[in-house]
Amino acid sequence: MSAIIETRGLVMQFPSTRALDELDVTIPSGVTGLVGANGAGKTTLISLTLGLLRPTSGSISVLGMSPATDGPQLRAMIGYGPERNLLPDDLRAYDFVRHLAEVKGLPRDEARSRASDSLYLVGLGEERFRALGTMSTGQRQRVKLAQAIAADPRFIVLDEPTDGLDPVQRDEMLNIIVQVNRSFGIDVMLSSHVLEEVERVCDHVVALSEGRLIAQGSMDELAGASAGIELELVELTDRPTAIDDVVTTLVEAGAGVRRSGAVLSIRGLPDGELFDLAAAAVAGAGARVRKLGQHRRSLDDIFTEAPTTDDGGAS
Amino acid sequence: MSGRGDARIVERGFQRYEGPRSGVGGAIRSVSWQSIRATLGLGRPARTKIFPVIAVVIAYVPAIVFVGIAVLIPGDILEPEEVADYPGYYGFIILAIVLFSALVAPEVLVSDRRNGMLAMYLSTPLDRRTYLTAKAVAVIATLGLVTLGPPVLLLIGYTVESAGPDGVDGWLWTLVRIVASGIAISAALAAVSMAASSLTDRRAFAAIGIVLLVLASPILAAALVDGAELSPSFRLLDISTMPFELVFRIFDQPGNFPELSTWSVLAGNLVWTLGGIAVVWWRYSKLVIAR
Repeated sequence: MSAIIETRGLVMQFPSTRALDELDVTIPSGVTGLVGANGAGKTTLISLTLGLLRPTSGSISVLGMSPATDGPQLRAMIGYGPERNLLPDDLRAYDFVRHLAEVKGLPRDEARSRASDSLYLVGLGEERFRALGTMSTGQRQRVKLAQAIAADPRFIVLDEPTDGLDPVQRDEMLNIIVQVNRSFGIDVMLSSHVLEEVERVCDHVVALSEGRLIAQGSMDELAGASAGIELELVELTDRPTAIDDVVTTLVEAGAGVRRSGAVLSIRGLPDGELFDLAAAAVAGAGARVRKLGQHRRSLDDIFTEAPTTDDGGAS
Repeated sequence: MSGRGDARIVERGFQRYEGPRSGVGGAIRSVSWQSIRATLGLGRPARTKIFPVIAVVIAYVPAIVFVGIAVLIPGDILEPEEVADYPGYYGFIILAIVLFSALVAPEVLVSDRRNGMLAMYLSTPLDRRTYLTAKAVAVIATLGLVTLGPPVLLLIGYTVESAGPDGVDGWLWTLVRIVASGIAISAALAAVSMAASSLTDRRAFAAIGIVLLVLASPILAAALVDGAELSPSFRLLDISTMPFELVFRIFDQPGNFPELSTWSVLAGNLVWTLGGIAVVWWRYSKLVIAR
């Protein structure tokens, strides 16, 4: 599978902040989620992808080209939906999408018909002649998606495309994004700090924290696989140390335990052994079990397990 | 009855596009045209058309009046060019031109920085240089509406009344001079007004800055030359006058400041134009556009 984006040792240093730090990322075809908290470096990576910024050091290649030297050629093949919700208020949605399709090189007649087609695709066919300033946040997000796909790019970059949307609008937006990829073969990179939506629609994930890569790979590799067991105990007033005793027994047996109140996440050994070990520890401590089950790994775990640093941040 | 069944349903809806693309040239054309439309309020609410219409009316009304005079008063009594010749015409519309430049450049440049369009444009085949080229074309072309249009109207009106330049050569030569004058004025005022517009994110501040600069520069020049009795070359600091002084020289007339050589007037205008361009480029090359 050919890489859409490839970075090697990518560094972006702003005067007071290192936004990206020695980033080695490979983003393949499909729908890729760029995840991380605010300030993780997602928008900086997007800006570098589009050639809006020049890296301090390292390299970035997009669709096999350099954004720094092949910028105009490359950007004609990329659609971009910015995070900012600012759009020209007095322009009609149709005129906005048509104009940007023309700027990306489409002939005037083609830009006109594709502006309408794109707006229909995102569910704004009937609203396409409304001024942007009169549209809701959800509609404006859809307009941004429509303009990103109108010129038929090979690859679209969407910065927080569900920002400001209610759950229903969010689901609809995610469905359209998946449709754009599955039906038309347009690769997608979307940035988000909402991990559940990335888990739902993305084939691949790049996770950033404070400008550093903390995980990348397919969704199957990073999430969904078994990651130990989860044991929820009952807090007993007559045996207040029972949960502590269970934890001690598990740790002494070589398991890794993360405790959150009466819930224990137990890892470090094969699941079968962990179940046996947990049963023995509970019995030995005289504890009582409320729930016992396999723990499915989620994107949340990636961030929980990631080492944290005190220095640095990202824009 | 026909009914041969030639009609067919053409597939509608979003599809892939494999046709030609116009590249950077097309992007510049499209951004320029969109900027001109925005400035003139075309395809926008009526309130956005008010100021451009007023400026255009102020610029064209004298030309219409002078052509009317040429129609009404026989040439043996009064030669039309005795009422208003081409370089002298700008004296009647200088206010409209300055106000128009204070309206156009802020709309063309500042709006994009405020409403997020700059980042959108720079995610297309345009880069900062080609984006600014598109914007400069838009500003110059829009200013051309008031710097070029009225003298051309005057030329056509005089020609129709048989009071225009003699012969085809003379007529073409006058047209070339009018075009050169319009471009020279537009270029100098575009550069200066774009420079002012690049320094602030408020359209009103940019417009006020342009007007103040145009009002202050003749006062400064007069203070230095007439007050402090410094070299007449300091007249070149007067941006409100120098482009129009150059027009007199293009028409082989001494102008209002005969003590200045034509070369120095040309150089002064070039410095204003290139200085404006330098400020705009400096500002945009420093601008961090991260989203």
